[in-house]
Amino acid sequence: MHASDHLSVAPPLVELGGLSDLSKSGRTIHATASPLNETYAVFAASLLDNLPGKQRHASPDDQPIYFVSSEALPLSERRLFIGDTSIIFAALQNLVKTAKDNGLDLLQDEGSQRVIRKLALDYVNFSKECWIHITQTDLKPRQVPGDHYRILYTCLSLFAILYVPEYGLENAPVGDDLVEWLNVHFIEPSTEEGDHLSSLERPWEDETFWPYLTRATLRGLSKAVTFFLGTLSVHPSENLPRLSQSIIPLLNSQPKLQAYETEREFAYASHRWKEKVKALRIELDDVPVSDRHDDFEDWWDRFSDIVGILEGRGEVVQKACEELGADWKEVCVAWAVFVDTRLRRQDLPDIVAQVLEDMPPDPTNLEDMVHAALFTGDPLKALDHAAKLDPWLGAHLADIMEPLALVERDANEESGLTIRDFYVLSYAQYLHADPALWRITVAYMFSCGKIGARTADEVLLHVPLRLYSSGSSITSESNTDGVPEKGDLAGIVKDVNATCHEYQREGIRRTVCRIAAQTFVQKKEFGLALSYCSSAEDWAGLGRVVDRILQEYIHAAGPEQYTRYVFGIAPSLQAFRTNPGAQGVFIHRLMFAVRYAEFHQRLANGDFQDAAWDLVTMFQDDIAPKSWWGVLLCDAVQLLQYEPTPLFSYVSACVLLHRLDEVCTRTMQGSGEDYLRILEMKLQAGGRHDTQQQLQLARLALAKYFARCTMVGTGGTLINRRVGSAV
Amino acid sequence: MIQTGLIQSAHDDLVTDISYDFYGLRLATCSLDQRIKVWQLDESNGTWSVEDEWKAHDAAVSRLSWAHPEFGTILASASFDRTVKIWEQTSFVSAGDVQLNGSTPVQQVSGSGSSSRWAERAVLVDARGTVRAVEFAPHHFGLKLATISSDNQLRIYECLEQSSLATWQLSEEVDVTTLPSMSSPSSHSVAFATPTQTSATLDGASASLVAQALQQSQVPFQPRPGMGNREADGGWCISWCKERYWGEVVAAGCGISGTIKVIQVSPSRRPTTLLTLDPTPTGALRLTEGSVGAAPSSENEAPTPYAITSVAWAPSCGRSYHLIATGGRDGHVRIWRVKPAEDTDDTEGEGEPKWTGTIVADFDHHKSAVGRVEWNITGTVLSSAGNDGRVRLWKATIGNVWRPAGSIGVEQSEDSPDADATMEDNTGAD
Repeated sequence: MHASDHLSVAPPLVELGGLSDLSKSGRTIHATASPLNETYAVFAASLLDNLPGKQRHASPDDQPIYFVSSEALPLSERRLFIGDTSIIFAALQNLVKTAKDNGLDLLQDEGSQRVIRKLALDYVNFSKECWIHITQTDLKPRQVPGDHYRILYTCLSLFAILYVPEYGLENAPVGDDLVEWLNVHFIEPSTEEGDHLSSLERPWEDETFWPYLTRATLRGLSKAVTFFLGTLSVHPSENLPRLSQSIIPLLNSQPKLQAYETEREFAYASHRWKEKVKALRIELDDVPVSDRHDDFEDWWDRFSDIVGILEGRGEVVQKACEELGADWKEVCVAWAVFVDTRLRRQDLPDIVAQVLEDMPPDPTNLEDMVHAALFTGDPLKALDHAAKLDPWLGAHLADIMEPLALVERDANEESGLTIRDFYVLSYAQYLHADPALWRITVAYMFSCGKIGARTADEVLLHVPLRLYSSGSSITSESNTDGVPEKGDLAGIVKDVNATCHEYQREGIRRTVCRIAAQTFVQKKEFGLALSYCSSAEDWAGLGRVVDRILQEYIHAAGPEQYTRYVFGIAPSLQAFRTNPGAQGVFIHRLMFAVRYAEFHQRLANGDFQDAAWDLVTMFQDDIAPKSWWGVLLCDAVQLLQYEPTPLFSYVSACVLLHRLDEVCTRTMQGSGEDYLRILEMKLQAGGRHDTQQQLQLARLALAKYFARCTMVGTGGTLINRRVGSAV
Repeated sequence: MIQTGLIQSAHDDLVTDISYDFYGLRLATCSLDQRIKVWQLDESNGTWSVEDEWKAHDAAVSRLSWAHPEFGTILASASFDRTVKIWEQTSFVSAGDVQLNGSTPVQQVSGSGSSSRWAERAVLVDARGTVRAVEFAPHHFGLKLATISSDNQLRIYECLEQSSLATWQLSEEVDVTTLPSMSSPSSHSVAFATPTQTSATLDGASASLVAQALQQSQVPFQPRPGMGNREADGGWCISWCKERYWGEVVAAGCGISGTIKVIQVSPSRRPTTLLTLDPTPTGALRLTEGSVGAAPSSENEAPTPYAITSVAWAPSCGRSYHLIATGGRDGHVRIWRVKPAEDTDDTEGEGEPKWTGTIVADFDHHKSAVGRVEWNITGTVLSSAGNDGRVRLWKATIGNVWRPAGSIGVEQSEDSPDADATMEDNTGAD
């Protein structure tokens, strides 16, 4: 939040004033932004201008890389605050959306207005609870001072009073509400002062006595005032005890708006009350000058000020406030209570503007600046200061301001952002500093139109899927959110998927699935990889996964591992066949992978007859890709050489021969690569090289087999029948 | 601004580039020491530890780029040894499994003592000078990468076989300084356009020279420097347009013209300059007129020639325009707002729609050469780093005016205990 504008990294790279050393040693500074959060990696980089080989000054030993976050990470209670207030935010989003869907004008709809007020008060109460909680549990150094939530509380409650009044009471006088706000948040006079005075026998002899009374009067604290006025009954003056007895009932009977059914009655009562105050003034003016002071004070002046305040004399209010060291807020509030008792919200800015001319707000105090902007009816300025105070405040104020039509709803032509969206996105960017808050981050972003949605896309895409469990533990106190248990491989990817569904970001979902599929391929979790490919409808990717599995066969020593992998994915083949979206060519490749694995399975089980049949049908049904023909033909050799019984029918053997011929012919024509590539790889992996030799072996085996067939004469009958029945 | 971590000493010699992976959980660093290191973030305490390291090139490594993770864990490195190498992290651990694919012998790289799981998959040797920048294309264009080198050439490579990463086709090779603008008749270009031709490396350059001669319109902005001078200027920087809609578009900076060219490299047509980002007033005039290739008059020449050494194309994130940031030897950080050509229904016959660019921010705070500009992932914060030892951040205000948003310095601060305190606060927070 209050991140300073400049940070000097530690340890420093150069000493104070030593920047020229940097370029002398051939160095400059580079920075790169992390996609994870708002962190920058800063490092001393080589000036690449005059490299290499040319003379360079010897570089220092250390080559540090500094990591600097532009935002303070929200931790502990701050996270809680962010998470809980996001629920209120979502409720308002919901309301706005429902109203829009139903064509409701939020400004005219009583129900909606009441809900907005309720939500605004929820923010007020929540910040209040946070503040109380923080001040009560002072255990460890907090990220933000507890005072921070008090400031949010004062700003939000002032906003609620001035801009989100109860439905139907927008035009009611605002004075009582304001004085209550001031008394809750800026307690004056202090309880200690009161305690001190009440402990004295003759409190009027204390220098704080009259200022206390004046302040309490300004604040409408009639009980305190009347108590101390009561002590004046024993004051040595002839007049003061009487006067103080006269003013006590006045203070106790000052009309409060809440006590009246209608404002008219309130106005009438105020008028009659003021008449009584005037009578007191006359009484006061009759006091002879000789009795107007005691040994300590000119009590008459002091008393007169109090009466002046009750009379509603603006100049007296202002003067009294100045003397008490009170600020512009106090003057404005007193004005609304005493000077202009019927002061409306819409009239407040005029008064405040006048007061601020004499008593400007403190420009170094953002809280004061927010208050002043809210008082003067300048929501834009209030947002500006609020966002500097805390991006959270800017965003949530702007979010309520828009449906209340306090800020423009049209997008800035240059940036394409509305005022609300600008502040909400600024807050979302602050949230992005903490990667664990990605769900909340994107929720805020998705509430900001097209630009917000596309921004959220980027964040969603970069949410670490954590599909691989690295050696380092990723659970930590500060990162309790969304870290899957070990074994819960697809925890986050499921979450991201669900979020994409929720906001209808199909393109992003597919990309995430493709990444997940690729990661699973690297982990050799081919079954998961295939299901993510299919979820992404990435058929080309599916083909690559199958290629990867086939490569397992090529590079592994034996086919056992390969068949294991394939049987892991075989069930998905069935699912793909029933999926109309699945594209044939890649499914075809998957079919080959499965069939080829079945072939090896049969070989391993000694089921040679069926293995031979498999081999031939892979050719006949055009399941085997051309690049694999060489491998299949070599696989055939051992079956052709099987002694106990011939395994191939004459026709099947002819199929093999035809394929072999095609391979050889094409090889002579120079395109053998198409047919022998895989065989070549397989041989290389086994430390051998000569594909031609292997093909010749296959041809020899075939020739011998044909010779056998001729000799036996009957060799193929059985098989012929089998092939025939299969067709 | 809060310092959240530190790597005390990353390499044995000056670091030349560091690059975060897609998720920011890993960091690849390279150095004059010819090595690459891959670091892993321990999120529990924010520390980085070396996961792999290996000697990657025969000269200093200049730049690194990670491929999109949907293609796997792939890193490209560019070097002063005039090559670009493609590295893949293999999941194979045992020695017998090292070789993943057959067509290219896989070199299992190993660091001193520690064996690496990174395998060299391909070496791209077309450059005739230092390769200064390399960047993988946005993933929707497939597994492609762009390189730029001191021979002025922008090269686009496409991986032909993703499962092995062994075969990379040089699909484009263009001399950025002489590349014709899109106002040149496209029919001419067809004659020389053999974008897939890879055999004769000089073709790209000579083709554009012929094009230039034919069109009589393209005069290089700066006189073409002799070969001896090339190491000093040549190509500097590249950045891809992140958005799919506009096709494959790269911003490239070359030479000392102080300009950036926005180049379209769609596979179906030969590369053309869509727009030249030229901050000089006359240049700006030229580009608004869209006649970038027009013969330059004498006042076009900037008083002092300088190189734009860094360019960064912001992710557009739904904005109706693009933001391209540049940093150069003139000490300026500039942000260009670039509007693609308006889509009209009858683009054919009407001539090509024009891209336009205007400067929306121009900062000289660094007061010295700016070596690096970079956007965050949402294109909302620009960082720039200069020879003044400062990293400066820039953000747009609600009125869309760009303003400084903080800075980071490496110089000892006047009250250095404060910096230490910040550090302690941070590490002690958990």
